[in-house]
Amino acid sequence: MGNDELLVVRCQLGEREAFRELVAVWHPPLWRYVRGVVGSSHLADDLVQEAWVAVVRGLPRLRQAERFAPWLFTIARRTVTDHLRQTYKAPETAMEDATAVVADDELSGVLTTMRIEAGLAALPPLEREVLILFHLQDLPLASCAEVLGVPAGTVKSRLHRARRMLRDHLAEKGHEA
Amino acid sequence: MSEQNRAAQRPVPEELERVLAAEVSLRSRLRHVAVGLAGGCGAAVIAVLWATEPHAPPPRTQAAFAGLIAIGLAWAVLAGWVLSRRRPLFARDRVLSARIALAATVVTALAGVALAAVRGSTADLVATATGGVVLTAAAMLTLVRARHRRRALLRLRDALRQDAS
Repeated sequence: MGNDELLVVRCQLGEREAFRELVAVWHPPLWRYVRGVVGSSHLADDLVQEAWVAVVRGLPRLRQAERFAPWLFTIARRTVTDHLRQTYKAPETAMEDATAVVADDELSGVLTTMRIEAGLAALPPLEREVLILFHLQDLPLASCAEVLGVPAGTVKSRLHRARRMLRDHLAEKGHEA
Repeated sequence: MSEQNRAAQRPVPEELERVLAAEVSLRSRLRHVAVGLAGGCGAAVIAVLWATEPHAPPPRTQAAFAGLIAIGLAWAVLAGWVLSRRRPLFARDRVLSARIALAATVVTALAGVALAAVRGSTADLVATATGGVVLTAAAMLTLVRARHRRRALLRLRDALRQDAS
């Protein structure tokens, strides 16, 4: 994490060679997140490029270099949301709900990365992206809340619901939860 | 192979590298700095010329003065917008740009004061000198802040490097 922060600071200083390293480190997880949310590799390529442009343009104003990861995913999420909004010409009513705070469930240790990836496509966007951020990107709960723009409690409840839906889906497919 | 592994091995697309290379270009930033300064400084010199005309110029000349000032200011505003939104300056770029801006401001202020001294009244000279001092002070403040920010980042970079080694 310290190396990431160092890279970000070097970029903010204006060391051009550091940008290439920063992109090399963060492009795969960013692409994976966007790909997981939009479900298309070609669209993910376009949106990730758009997100990177926004990141480079916003980087001089980022005050806390250690907060780079949640900031990066927030920008990516905004890019995806803007795209979806333009595509469907509808407000993102589906992106804001879930107020009940539910305690973490026992599935944490059971859901492997492979299983999550296998069932992601079957989940609605909200549940899909919270699973990607928390389980595939390993972002802490507070960072997920920052990226999603909701309280940590909402992230917990969304995670709980997403795991339940994923478990049901995997059970239907014949996997053991 | 899982999606995760494919993503982990996924190279950065050449198109993205090209786009980002253009995005971080120092040359592009300096070009906009130069355009903005040329526009702003040019507008200031024309304003001094207009203000120090011994007799009120004919309407067409006044319109030409106003048009040139407007064009200069428009270029300055456009460059400012680009440098704040599209090509924001990184710490080192800010220091370099601030130095260029300070030099341009000093030269413009001296040129303005010389013009006012030769062509204008005492009041014109005082007003031009005051404007020159204010703009030069603003340029110096910009340079001081840019150097402060760069020093802070350099200290942070060195501390992080020490932690890493």
